This record gives sequence, C-alpha cells and structure tokens, in this order.
Amino acid sequence: MANIEGRATAITVITPIKRGGPVVLWLVFWAGRNIKQTLEKLEKLSFIHFARWAVIKRFPDEHGGERLNHPYLLFESNFNGAWEQYIDAFSEVVAFRMRAIWGTSFGFPGPLPVEPFKAYIRHNEFVANHYFSAYPGATTTEIVSAARVEAALEELRGSAGLGADAFRAAYVAFLTKVQGDL
Amino acid sequence: MNESRNTCGQACALTVLAPIREGRESALTHRLNTLQPGPASPLANVTGTHFARWVVIGDVVYEGTSQRRPDHLKAGRLLFTSNFDGPLGQYLEELRAGLGAVADEVWGHCAGYPGSADAGAFAAYMRSHQIESSLFFASYGGRRVAEVERSLATRRQVIDFAVRSQRMAPTELQAAFRETFGG
Repeated sequence: MANIEGRATAITVITPIKRGGPVVLWLVFWAGRNIKQTLEKLEKLSFIHFARWAVIKRFPDEHGGERLNHPYLLFESNFNGAWEQYIDAFSEVVAFRMRAIWGTSFGFPGPLPVEPFKAYIRHNEFVANHYFSAYPGATTTEIVSAARVEAALEELRGSAGLGADAFRAAYVAFLTKVQGDL
Repeated sequence: MNESRNTCGQACALTVLAPIREGRESALTHRLNTLQPGPASPLANVTGTHFARWVVIGDVVYEGTSQRRPDHLKAGRLLFTSNFDGPLGQYLEELRAGLGAVADEVWGHCAGYPGSADAGAFAAYMRSHQIESSLFFASYGGRRVAEVERSLATRRQVIDFAVRSQRMAPTELQAAFRETFGG
C-alpha cells in the first residue's frame, strides 16, 4: 500500500463542506494560524511530521476552475505509526478542534466515539499512488530529539580541550542532559 | 496565493490539483503505481523534499443523503502534495530538474501541462493549479532535509559512542571523543 513508506504513513482526506461551513472554517483556521495553543496542541501529538488543511473552492483547470455544488476540505498528513493509533489520538487529544473543523463537512459523525469517526475517515480517504519520505526510518520524536542531541554535542565539543578529568565530567553531564533523547 | 499560509518556519506546503485528460486516468495510475519506492523514488532526486505524494482523485466522495446534492468532477484530478524546504520558486525548479523525464510521464496525462523543457512554463502550470493551505503544521519546520538527516546521523553516532566508551578511562575517552566528533 502506497500510504506507507518505512515508518511514515500518509493520510489524504477530501470532504464536502456544508453551506455556511467556509465562514466557520475561515475563523477556525484564522485562530489556528494566530493563536499559539492550536499548533502547540498538535505538537503534543508528537507523531505528526507535517499536516495541512486546505479549502478547495474550485478544482483547478484550464477554464478558471471547476466549481461543484459544494466547496471541499482537503486534509493531508504525514505521521509515524499506525493509522488506528493516529485517529485514536486525534479524536481524543484534539476532539474540540476536530469537531470545529470537520463539523462543517457533510456526514461527520463527531470525533467520539471513535469507531464511526474512523469509518468516516476511511470512507473519505484516498490512497496515495506514490508516497515518498526523505527519512522513512525516523519518527518525529527522533528527529526533534536528534536536534537537541546535536546542539548539546556542539556545546560539548567546546570542552574537548579541557583536562581529561574535566572533559569526562563534561561528557557525563552531556549524557545526563541528552539521555532522554537517545 | 498567500504563500505565508503555506509556510511553517522555513518549511513549505505545496498542493497541486491538475485535471487528468479524458481517458488517461488508468495510464496515469499505472505509471504512478509502478514508480520505484524508497530511495529509488524519483522524488528522492528532488532536493528539499521531506514528504511528498501523488494521489489520483477519480471523483469526489458522496456522503449519502445527509449531503444535499451529489457532486461529480468532470475530470479526475491528480493531487500532488509536498512538504519541502522553501522558497517555492526554488523548489519548483528542483522539482522540474530532479524529476527529469518522470515529470512529463506523470503530468503529461494532465490537461494543459506544458512539459518540463521550459522551466518558466512548468513553474507557471504548478502555480496556476495550486491550492492555498488554510492551516499548515510542521513539527520541525525550522529544519531543512539535510539538517534532519545530519542530526539523525549524529544522534546514532552519539548512541554508538556512549555504548563503546562505557569503560574508558578519562584520557582514552577524550581521545576517542576527539577522533569521533572533533573539537
């Protein structure tokens, strides 16, 4: 299945938006862009590499775009781990936001209980024909940890010219600092 | 197009929906399904790509009676999404040059596609079929692909070093550290 590349999974969901939905979405996404807590909440879902929502008012073509009876909401996500766990976490951790976003789409059953929500996502999901990751073996947590390890190592390099015992102490302090990231 | 909406840190989102020419959907699907996966993917040659995908959208999904009116696309669409190192202009050129012949083998099935020989026309086509993100999230939007790869390698090196240096005396430890990490 092309939705999986190494440890990364792709989700692509497209849903029709109800009348009045675009105004609500405009507000919800404005808040998402401008109120820090929204993105921080997503950061707590520590297995999302990248995700986006986009409102499709017209499907682009050579004649100014094809307009359907409804605008459509596209959701694209790249995460590590299993599809089931991802949807579970989404529906639990960001239930309020899920309701605010997909509540504007036809057929959305609400984020909880999770089984109807999963069925809804499956029904509206498109499987990728080709999916690529530059680092398929790495989880989001490993990438964020690796950045911290690298920064701490850079500091330790500055201690490499100390006496051997002082260096050893600096090295032990380094290991203590980054042990959670290894 | 408000490019700031497609941006999170230095990371950028590209969403392109191109109309598939009549009768070409199965040939396009076949071409995409037979692209090599993993490091042999043509997208591996497109510098700055963190994650990217092609998805054939034959038609939109009908939600049943809760939806007031059903919708049908006149033409299926080829969705291309990428999460990449900005800026967009540079990336579109990386995409054209990096994909080489594959760009035409794929988007050649789409209406109005000008081919990849003309860099300006290729970029203009992508931009004119682009959809603006409403909200784009990147967990590590400050880090470019090369930086991510480098720090992952460093982390592995630190883990290996921590294991093999467990019983080293201070002098030996320092020498081994300098040999491995410099400084």
